[in-house]
Amino acid sequence: MLGKREDKEEATFLSSTSYDGKFHSFQLHSWVLRPSAFWVESLKVVPLVICLSFLLHSAGACNHFCFSCFYFVIEIVSNSKFNTQRLARFPNVKKDGTLLAGKLIQPVLKLLNDDSVEAVWEGAASLLYTIITFFPAAIHHYYDRAEAAIASKILSGKYSTRTLKKLGYCLALLPKSKGDEDSWSLMMQKILLSINDLLNDAFQGVEEEAKSDEVRRLLVPPGKDLPSPLGHTPLESASHEATRSSERLPASTVSTLIFCCCKMLTSSYPIQVTAPIRAMLALVERLLMVDGSLPHTMLPFMTAMQHELICSELPVLHAHALELLIAIIKGMRRQLLPHAAYVVRLVTRYFRRCALPELRIKLYSITRMLLISMGVGMAIYLAPDVIDNAINDLNSFGDEDVETSPTNIGPSTGALPQPSNRKRKHGTKTGSPEEKQTISSEVEPLNPHQTTPITVKIAALDTLEVLLTVGGASKSESWRSRIDSLLIKTATNSCKRGWGNEENNNFLPHESTSIWVDFQLSSLRALLASFLAPARIRPPFLSQGLELFRKGKQEAGTKLAGFCASALLALEVLIHPRALPLDDFPSSYQTFTDGASHRFPENMPFYGQKGDTMFSKSMQGAEQSALKSDDDDLYDRWLQNENENENIPIENMNDKRSRFNFVEKPCANDSSFTNILEVSEQELAAPDADVHMRGKDEIMVQPWHSQESIQQTQEIVSAKGVTSPVVARNPEGTEIEFKAAVSASDGLNQTDHDIVSDVLADKVDGFDNVCGNTSSTISNVEKVNASVAHLDSDSSMDSFPAIVDADPDTDSD
Amino acid sequence: MDVVIASSSIDGGIGCWDLQTGAEQLRYKTCASPPHGLVSVGRRFLASSQLRDPSATSGHVLYWSWSKPQAEVKSFPAEPIKPLAADSEGSYIVGGGSSGDIYLWEVATGRLLKKWHAHYRAVTCLVFSEDNSLVISGSDDGCVRVWSLFLIFDDVRRQQASHLYEYSFTEHTLCVTDIIMGYGGGSAIIVSASEDRTCKVWSLSRGRLLRNIVFPSIIDAIALDPGEHVFYAGSRDGKIYIAALNAESSPSNSYGLHIIGSLSDHSKAVTCLAYSTERNLLLSGSEDGMVRVWDVKTQNIIRMFRHAKESNAQGFSR
Repeated sequence: MLGKREDKEEATFLSSTSYDGKFHSFQLHSWVLRPSAFWVESLKVVPLVICLSFLLHSAGACNHFCFSCFYFVIEIVSNSKFNTQRLARFPNVKKDGTLLAGKLIQPVLKLLNDDSVEAVWEGAASLLYTIITFFPAAIHHYYDRAEAAIASKILSGKYSTRTLKKLGYCLALLPKSKGDEDSWSLMMQKILLSINDLLNDAFQGVEEEAKSDEVRRLLVPPGKDLPSPLGHTPLESASHEATRSSERLPASTVSTLIFCCCKMLTSSYPIQVTAPIRAMLALVERLLMVDGSLPHTMLPFMTAMQHELICSELPVLHAHALELLIAIIKGMRRQLLPHAAYVVRLVTRYFRRCALPELRIKLYSITRMLLISMGVGMAIYLAPDVIDNAINDLNSFGDEDVETSPTNIGPSTGALPQPSNRKRKHGTKTGSPEEKQTISSEVEPLNPHQTTPITVKIAALDTLEVLLTVGGASKSESWRSRIDSLLIKTATNSCKRGWGNEENNNFLPHESTSIWVDFQLSSLRALLASFLAPARIRPPFLSQGLELFRKGKQEAGTKLAGFCASALLALEVLIHPRALPLDDFPSSYQTFTDGASHRFPENMPFYGQKGDTMFSKSMQGAEQSALKSDDDDLYDRWLQNENENENIPIENMNDKRSRFNFVEKPCANDSSFTNILEVSEQELAAPDADVHMRGKDEIMVQPWHSQESIQQTQEIVSAKGVTSPVVARNPEGTEIEFKAAVSASDGLNQTDHDIVSDVLADKVDGFDNVCGNTSSTISNVEKVNASVAHLDSDSSMDSFPAIVDADPDTDSD
Repeated sequence: MDVVIASSSIDGGIGCWDLQTGAEQLRYKTCASPPHGLVSVGRRFLASSQLRDPSATSGHVLYWSWSKPQAEVKSFPAEPIKPLAADSEGSYIVGGGSSGDIYLWEVATGRLLKKWHAHYRAVTCLVFSEDNSLVISGSDDGCVRVWSLFLIFDDVRRQQASHLYEYSFTEHTLCVTDIIMGYGGGSAIIVSASEDRTCKVWSLSRGRLLRNIVFPSIIDAIALDPGEHVFYAGSRDGKIYIAALNAESSPSNSYGLHIIGSLSDHSKAVTCLAYSTERNLLLSGSEDGMVRVWDVKTQNIIRMFRHAKESNAQGFSR
């Protein structure tokens, strides 16, 4: 490929020769104004430029012809620009372009069909690609001929991967020229059938016979005719020739055709089409399930040579099968749902057997795609396999040495497990398809004693991060703790030997350092996800994690520091949970006049960033027992809860009283939590009398308070004086309300109380300190109310001291 | 363009208004739908289940494209369908039958992909989760169930599983009237309203009840504040109550615990609620046939649309 700079110059040159002065100046003007648009355009022009130069310098026989079409090519260059840039303003241009491009097709096809140098074909393919992209209508008349020309080239399988890829792209885009559903489906069907037929030949002996028919059966329903073969030439003749002549498997042809499928699935198409998804998945499965092992019955029919040949091609084929799977997932989006289970089984089965780093990385990326696109449901399914594999990869032998000494990172760690010590050299991690062909290795069960390349570890970490993000909350109890500890271990190890920094690693090749940085970043990112993903307990390794992030933040100017800073920000809510007041509802703050209402300072959320993560075991137990006794009847449950709470001596009270006091029960319950006990006792030591309350309470409680609750207490205390009569009215208010509610008013009260105690308990576990304060506030308010009631309600006067006395009793239990 | 669509149980077609300008758009003809029976499928077309006379044995679902007032497609499922829901991409439509079965159709092909027995009595409401992987259904018998579509489609695991649902919440004592689901895949909350005058908040990750809120009247519709600080509950007494979720509720308690206020226009019963997240507006449909647009911050009505005698509005944008 030409460098960008050269592209620009050549493109400028071409267009300046092609336009009259007016257009030329206009064009230049627009480039100045829109450099980015020009950039895009100039990149599009590149293939044409290359094509032109090839045409100009290719074999002499072509020379004359090439010059004759020089003019057309230039027209296309210019028109394609207009086509994309300002088609609306020049509607004629497209028409003209189509016309001219149509004239060009025939010569190009002729070029493709002629025996010539490969470079010419490549150029012709590029030109064809450009024509199809910009003027799909132009090729309409030559559809069959174009298909035949391209297909014959692909099926012969004789060219370099680059040329084949370009041809594949052309073939994939060909249906666009017709733009209807039938031509797309037909092309897809033909391509899939060709792949299947090629595989029939290739896999003879290494797979069971039954497999070969499956795809064909799915593609061509019984009773329907087989479509004409791809390119209208019988496949056997073309491929057989190729196979025999070069003594190699048609891997390059299969790869090109699969590439073609992928492009057809992922590139846009004017109308909605139905993809033969089951057939494609069956094909992927067929490819992935061949692992090079020989069924015993087949042994005599295969020569060692043949077997070796197949095995050497397998990694490439598997890689392409995974590519096809990726394209299916991308192209089908939500439509994949009915087949999701099949895909998951396919992926997990292959995951267990796949050992090649490249393939594992691809598998991890497929897993991530599935998790992100399919959400929680998928996470529940995939979790066990993802975790097993990630743990294997991250804990693999030689872990520490490889990871923590930067000298070992780099291409050497990309060494592949080579089961049979073949003669070929090791491939690098990011091998191009040609290089991959040299990586010969059978896919064999994962060996726990091998070292895992760092790139695989990065993929595993990224996948764990996604898993935690998507499915950290749902049904994760069984694996969560394992993953949390694995991630903190990995992150600590990755940061043990300092931070990946380009400056201080001058002695190392640049690439390995950047991989090291990527690894550190991935491990820290996964660690952050493990802290932030919803869980039932607080993140157990928060302190170590915070330390890592703090250290990382100090590496100013690096990507890591930036990430660590945002991680620390994200983690702040774990440390300082926030329950901010609502901006929208000022009314909820103006109602402080009601003293009784302050029995529930409910400024805590019941779920969300903190409530969720802080759910105590004790509370769970209580809840579970409540749920167990629950026979779907709310009323029964409420009654039952009331019984449970009878350790508070309120049975002797009359109905009205107990209704009024239901709100105290959670408080009493709540204060029985050990961490608040102290506070409550202290408070309760204060005399019951109203007079003492006002002065003393505040002072006594203050040292325990965070600012928030100080404020509250003060509000309460200040409210108290004013609102005594209101408070007295309140019990009646509640009563009326509950009478209005469903029949069992006691029961309702009880339920409310139940939930409140949930909330309180959540809080208790969440932040002991604040909770202590809360409960102390509660007790304050209780007393305030008690005393107020004492002043006000004469009928219940005698019974009130009993309640106040009851509280210390409960606490001392 | 943000549009509001509303249908009612009395045949008044489907009203459609531009939320910004208030201009009425096309009115789609002949539609008498039950609550939760109107849905926009991937913002591409409208689908609405139709009320049928009780003797009818088959259901009736109509589909309109945005540009034409007449229904373009009609389908007749095996039994009367009341609630309909579509996933966010518009790939699938689920419908709840009066026998308690849930039907799942593929939009692209129109095929019925799955049908499963979900409840003992009629399904009253259906919602998709945010990531479209779960469906939550409420039933006449007070049961709320969470379904994973993967399990529904996975024949192998389905045979192994003892039950199809992920969770079954049975705490409601009477018919479930509305369900909404909050943000965040696995750790989201579900809020359900029921004729037993309660709204219940469920945790999806723990599969249990988080909060129970008793209202003065039956709640027929709920809408969730995008920040999930509060939710809005439209009641049969004509008020829209504001109930606290992740918010401080100092119970003024003129209504009850956790209810921090109300929006009221002294109208008839509220039949449906929707929240327009883009414009931060609450839409309410009432039995008097009006659709009201509320600015929740100022608690004022900023717009009203007249639909028909009775309405069942849904707000969204396209």
